[in-house]
Amino acid sequence: MQYELTFLTARWSTRVRAATGIAALLLASWLAPASAAEQVQVTEPYIELRTGPGRGYPIFYVAERNEWIEIKLRHTDWFLVRTERGKEGWVHREQLETTLTQIGTKAKFRDVLLDDYLRRRLELGSAWGHFKSEPMLKAWLSYNVTSTLAVEATVGQVQGVFSGTDLWHLNLLAEPWPDWRLEPFFGIGFGKLNNIPNASLIGATTSDAKLADATVGVQYHLGARFIARLDYTQYVAYISDSRIDQYRAITIGLGFFF
Amino acid sequence: MRNPAPCKVLLTVALGIWPLLSSAADQSPAGEQVIQPQLDRRDVKVLHIPSNDFELGLFTGTYSTQYFGSDLVGGIRLGYHITEDFFAEAVYGNTRATDEVFRQILPGGVFKNQEEKLTYYDMSFGINVLPGEVFFWRHTAKPSALYLIAGLGATHFLDQRHFTANAGFGVRAWLANWAALQIDMRDHIFSLDVLGQQRSTQNLEFSGGVTFFF
Repeated sequence: MQYELTFLTARWSTRVRAATGIAALLLASWLAPASAAEQVQVTEPYIELRTGPGRGYPIFYVAERNEWIEIKLRHTDWFLVRTERGKEGWVHREQLETTLTQIGTKAKFRDVLLDDYLRRRLELGSAWGHFKSEPMLKAWLSYNVTSTLAVEATVGQVQGVFSGTDLWHLNLLAEPWPDWRLEPFFGIGFGKLNNIPNASLIGATTSDAKLADATVGVQYHLGARFIARLDYTQYVAYISDSRIDQYRAITIGLGFFF
Repeated sequence: MRNPAPCKVLLTVALGIWPLLSSAADQSPAGEQVIQPQLDRRDVKVLHIPSNDFELGLFTGTYSTQYFGSDLVGGIRLGYHITEDFFAEAVYGNTRATDEVFRQILPGGVFKNQEEKLTYYDMSFGINVLPGEVFFWRHTAKPSALYLIAGLGATHFLDQRHFTANAGFGVRAWLANWAALQIDMRDHIFSLDVLGQQRSTQNLEFSGGVTFFF
């Protein structure tokens, strides 16, 4: 009995120790970004430190070749660095591209390349257009499962003269030519539609309907992270057992990928 | 207990090496040096640098609904800075409108209640222009930028939704690398038929707020 008890307490204490260990690790990893900034060595003749993250802000300091700098933060293409003398300023990615890390290899700072476009995963955008000749606004979020297949969630609103419509749908998109700059895509999906008549109309009722849709469109890589998109969608709404409505929508939009 | 493992290992190694040694001796003629590769091992280090391209902000100010007075507005904004020049932003705001002026000459008024809620949302694209510095005091200069912004959205007012376009400009001044002050002037344009005729209305909003980057 005594043996069993000590055995149990021993087991408990190891568990407690493991738990505190894990907690300490988590805490350390949470605190780590604040304490351990990345150090790189300047290899360009000099780099320019600006007061803000943009090419329009004034240069107030210059760090020379072989100087060690600490990189603290990134905002778009600009990096906040701290020099050995304690000066903090923003440096553009291009000037840091040839810097060396502490183990003597080149640090990796990359531009957004065509490659990133081809390998994009998450894309967000919004579009404006016509749904049954009434203005429509929609936003989409798509995730590329493979380079030719994407899943997309769309929410939209139609502001008509007599009624307003909310809709959402989930689509499966096929992009058979992912390497074309002007890239066609095809999709099918399902969702829901909710039509609310304007309060001034008498006797009108709101209607909920299941929705199926087929879409065809093109998207164009504008450069950097931007994508322009034009699409045509055919909606079928199952209003009741005996009634099916069809709507056409054309929208044009702008998106970007992460 | 006797452990046979070391003997086994030794035997296996000896047996494994023997053919190699004998074949090497067969192939290389005497006196010739076997090439020693002069390659350094390359360590690849991936830098982990935190970024703050997203912003979340709260704002308050005044929203003037055309024909229906002006009132306090409050809202929330979520943004993403795509490049140093462009950013995308989604905003939700909420204010109140009143038909008090109409009630003075029309006893029933125009609305059901004297005050009606107005909410709006929009998705906009902005461009940073005129970057510069603002001087908060003699020794404190902070980066700032004027931005132009335009977008589309909807306004929910009097149980109806109205398609709304917005355009405006604002100033953003960074207080720290993670926070900024933002002053914004925006025109929301939507059409309304409450006064008997479909009319396009201009609704001006002037607001200020704090934005946090993450």
